[in-house]
Amino acid sequence: MTGKPYRLPETAAKGSRIDRSKQISFSFDGTRMTGFAGDTVASAVLASGRKVMGRSFKYHRPRGLIGLGSEEMNALIGVGEGGRKEPNLRATQVELYDGLTATSQNRWPSLDFDVGIINNKFSRFLPGGFYYKTFMWPRSFWEKVYEPFIRNAAGLGEAAGEHDPDTYEQMHVHVDVLVVGGGVSGIAAAHAAAASGKRVMLADENPVLGGVADISAGDIDGISQTDWVAARQSEFEKSGNCHVLTRTTVVGHYHHNYVLAAERVCDHDPDLLARGAPRHRLWKIRAGQVIVASGALERPIAFANNDRPGIMMASAARAMVERYAISPGMNGVIFTNNDDGYLTALKLHEAGVAVSRIIDVRKDVPTAFADTARKAGLNVHTGAAIAGVETASGGKQITAVKIAPYSVGRGRVVNEERVDCDFVAVSGGYNPVVHLWCHNGGKLRFDDDIQSFRPDRHGDPITVVGSANGSFDLKTCVEEGFASGETAAKALGGKAAKPVKKPMVKAHSAGPIQPIWFAPATGKYNEGNKHFIDFQNDVTAADLELAQREGYESVEHTKRYTTLGMATDQGKTSNINGLGVISDATGKRIPEIGTTTFRPPYTPYSFGAIAGTKTGELFLPVRRTAIFDWHKKQGATWEPVGQWRRAYCYPQAGEGKQDAINREILAVREKVGLLDASTLGKIEIKGPDAAKLLDLVYTNMFSTLKVGKARYGLMMSEMGFLMDDGVTVRLGEDHYLMHTTSGGADNIVAWLEEWLQTEWTSLKVFVTSVTEQWSQFAIAGPQARAVLDKLDGDIDLSPEAFEFMSYREGTLAGYPVRVFRISFSGELSYEIATPSGYGRGLWDVLMQAGKSEGMTAYGTEALHVLRAEKGFIVIGDETDGTVTPHDVGMSWAVSKKKSDFIGKRSLEQAFLASQGRKQLVGLLTTDPQDVLPDGAYAVESVKSAPPMKMIGHVTSSYFSPTLQRSIAMALIEGGQSKMGETVSFPLEGGKTVEAVISSPVFLDAEGKRQNV
Amino acid sequence: MSEAVYTSPLAHLEDTRDAANLSISISEISDRGMIDLRGEAGSVKFRQAAKAALGIELPLKPRSTAVKGDLTVLWLSIDQWLVCCPRDKADGLIGKLRKNLGEIHSLAVDVTDARAIIRLEGDNVREVLMKGSSIDFTLPDYKAGLARRLVFAEIAALAHIVADKPCTIDIYVFRSYADYTWKWIEATAKPAATIGLFSKQSG
Repeated sequence: MTGKPYRLPETAAKGSRIDRSKQISFSFDGTRMTGFAGDTVASAVLASGRKVMGRSFKYHRPRGLIGLGSEEMNALIGVGEGGRKEPNLRATQVELYDGLTATSQNRWPSLDFDVGIINNKFSRFLPGGFYYKTFMWPRSFWEKVYEPFIRNAAGLGEAAGEHDPDTYEQMHVHVDVLVVGGGVSGIAAAHAAAASGKRVMLADENPVLGGVADISAGDIDGISQTDWVAARQSEFEKSGNCHVLTRTTVVGHYHHNYVLAAERVCDHDPDLLARGAPRHRLWKIRAGQVIVASGALERPIAFANNDRPGIMMASAARAMVERYAISPGMNGVIFTNNDDGYLTALKLHEAGVAVSRIIDVRKDVPTAFADTARKAGLNVHTGAAIAGVETASGGKQITAVKIAPYSVGRGRVVNEERVDCDFVAVSGGYNPVVHLWCHNGGKLRFDDDIQSFRPDRHGDPITVVGSANGSFDLKTCVEEGFASGETAAKALGGKAAKPVKKPMVKAHSAGPIQPIWFAPATGKYNEGNKHFIDFQNDVTAADLELAQREGYESVEHTKRYTTLGMATDQGKTSNINGLGVISDATGKRIPEIGTTTFRPPYTPYSFGAIAGTKTGELFLPVRRTAIFDWHKKQGATWEPVGQWRRAYCYPQAGEGKQDAINREILAVREKVGLLDASTLGKIEIKGPDAAKLLDLVYTNMFSTLKVGKARYGLMMSEMGFLMDDGVTVRLGEDHYLMHTTSGGADNIVAWLEEWLQTEWTSLKVFVTSVTEQWSQFAIAGPQARAVLDKLDGDIDLSPEAFEFMSYREGTLAGYPVRVFRISFSGELSYEIATPSGYGRGLWDVLMQAGKSEGMTAYGTEALHVLRAEKGFIVIGDETDGTVTPHDVGMSWAVSKKKSDFIGKRSLEQAFLASQGRKQLVGLLTTDPQDVLPDGAYAVESVKSAPPMKMIGHVTSSYFSPTLQRSIAMALIEGGQSKMGETVSFPLEGGKTVEAVISSPVFLDAEGKRQNV
Repeated sequence: MSEAVYTSPLAHLEDTRDAANLSISISEISDRGMIDLRGEAGSVKFRQAAKAALGIELPLKPRSTAVKGDLTVLWLSIDQWLVCCPRDKADGLIGKLRKNLGEIHSLAVDVTDARAIIRLEGDNVREVLMKGSSIDFTLPDYKAGLARRLVFAEIAALAHIVADKPCTIDIYVFRSYADYTWKWIEATAKPAATIGLFSKQSG
């Protein structure tokens, strides 16, 4: 198989898509090949004389090209190398470029010799439903034996194993009219709609507009269809209101005419990639009106071994000649049940390709097309069907077909004729591409004239035209398209700004089709014969019949049992043929059987397009405080808090994380530390009813708070469970500043707004989030005041002038600041806020000022240990959405005086007020070096194996460098009355840790350290 | 007394900013002061007091803006406005607002440092924005003077169309997202990724 025996000379066929002056070099399975600019991988490989392009899914049978475009189900290839490899591309759609690397799939070790072909020999043991029947028992084999086997054998191409170096993007667009498909119907629709001045988008999956205009008969407006298409395209480009997208597959139609379309921007041209264009672009289109002109797909005919390389669709054979000047072989036969096969026969004949026979299922073929063929001297053999094929080279090529008389209802025949040939062009009629129509609930009806389903009703502003609508003659295609464009524009209030003339069409009409769902084989019944229905999933007519015999009456069940119409193919070519076989087997008419569901995407598209720009650094928005870069420079490790990245700890050279955490904690306890607390939620609350609002949302009282003072508050949901906490400061009589948890900041603003807007509409309060306005730092430790005293400022920091839990505003080292004397560490502590733009400046000043005092930046882990040593809770650690203030021992913060607040009523419910609830306690492990894992379960009694009765769990657990021992907090059933008791925590690996229940306050219970 | 040092939220990108190689020009605006003003639009007293302080009527139509001199007021919601002025005038203006508003139910807060502003200029601006937003920036009424909040990429943002020729749009995002926003725009505004949506092609 060398040379280029199948590329026709220019004199015989020009090849409308190729440029013979530009040779392109590429490789297929490691073999260097050449093609011309404009070739696809399919045409170029075929030109080299190679017919086998892949192996089939289940039986690993050699497979060649069958289709014309995106419906191709055999010639699936992997393209590209390394991180750029993309599997399962249809060779018919992959445009050639210099240096392209393609590999065939589903074969091992090579395409020519494949070990998996053994499945073909054993195929009688691999019937429909094989997996279900075989792998049911023994049960224990599933995980270790069957599943790995199936996983290994299943699937098509291999995904890239490396990071994809290319970029992708998404684009939103709003259009008045979206036309799907750039064949003549779609073009006519866009032509009419654009004339109204409305914004029209026309999307087509091929690189060239026109659909099958170049391989169909008939003229429009007195010129060839191709010329007419070119003229319209040039108008669109100049119009300014019709945007044409080529290489763009509309993959899904959703509610409200939301449509997804995948554009392959660079796949045909690596230079574009190199210049920085996104490889793929996913269009998110909102359309006022959608016009589907997605065309029709030719269907195969099920005859014995109809999957052999060299057997292809008649339209594909015709296009190979017209577009790429490639003959599918040296000597072919046509097998058809409609007039389309004759067009192919004539096209091949004109190009000098031998066509030995036109085999037509129909007895009488009185149509113009048949007459032309006969006049051209072609041998038309009516009332016959292909009964089998003869092959050579292990099924990799065909040598002859067997032809037997055919008529509906007639049984098997024995008289057959053998005709030599090396390719077969098959036309089983056309199926409208109704996928998009059906994605969002469009209904179908079966049409006996075309022996296929065609669109019926739809609830959306969507219309379908041309062959997608089952209208196969050119005149109707163009008329429907044009009318739909006019109607769509009119529905949107468009007026014909520049009216255009309705196109006039001249074409012969085609004769009727005769359905054939199964061409019987001759000879020994079915021996070695397979009638393929679904090529991609290796589903045969026999599999479908078996499924019927086994009782899979619903077509949806048959689909799942046999895998008919699954995977990437989504039944593009197999659907109707499968239904036809089921119909024959059950005696039910096709419309009674119904179709399976058409799901998006119409064809697969890349994960890159789905991710778009959201990759790498842009995968997730990361919020940075004003001090982020400082943290980074200090080598901080990070803790994600919502979308924030907070410094977890700052390991110095030679320090592990735990060393760093311990050092930071001790610095705060003994000297002074600085924490970036900018992520804390900050909400300004103002209005005559501000105090009232706070009294309603917090469990404790805020109306009594004095101006300039701060108070810690607990917030519950209506269910009585803790949802947030923080310190609120009274800035003025009617003006408060609320601090929330970092993670709760956005939710709490929304929570307050919701209550104000929906329930307490009479309250006069405004709330505005100022979280991002302020950088805020905690300066904590015995030396905190000494450090601040060094700085110029107008705030008297003396303990008498500035008491614990109060607030001052002023300047510090020239920075405008709000200073809160509050403490989450139990040390002398100030939280200092300055506008974010000044945050970094002030941070640097504070670090510098504290140098001689041993100023140490501390991260979130040190913060957590410091607060745990003091027994302070953290929402989300000690609480999990089912914990009340009473449970965490904070009944003191639940007002008994207030008549109402959110959650008050729930707290009074019996099960929340009951005694046996899990309550927050401290834990001191018997071995002080044992640090309990977070979440460890306390059990009533330790047994050798689960189940054991669980009585609580660890909520926070740390090693305290201050106390030189492990400390933990836990929620334990009735814990507050179990002080001093020992509880057991059986851990993974058999170890059990014992701990004594204690108060959760491990350090300075009197609070002396913070109040100095 | 030392001088307070201001740091832009995009300072860390100074070395890598390569705005020249984009299909639009992008720049940071850091000298703008911002005041979040809340009040009852239905209250004549409130509107009059606000006008007395600002020298300009508050825009009441959704998504509209009012401009006078170096002052721009953006409508944010039925009871919220963003008052933009030179950074060094924000303090004074807040004082003036609070004084004029007095006991009238309202809230004026300095949010100058809460947001980062990125200015996008050029013919391709609308297209670049639509790579990150489902808002149709090509609508006929999306002209200079319009301001609206939107989901941009994956965050909350505010877009203000400042001028039409050349198209100039200011994108306001919360300060912590400045880095993310800048990098998103850089990623989607590469010249090779230009689409030319509904542009007339010669030929």
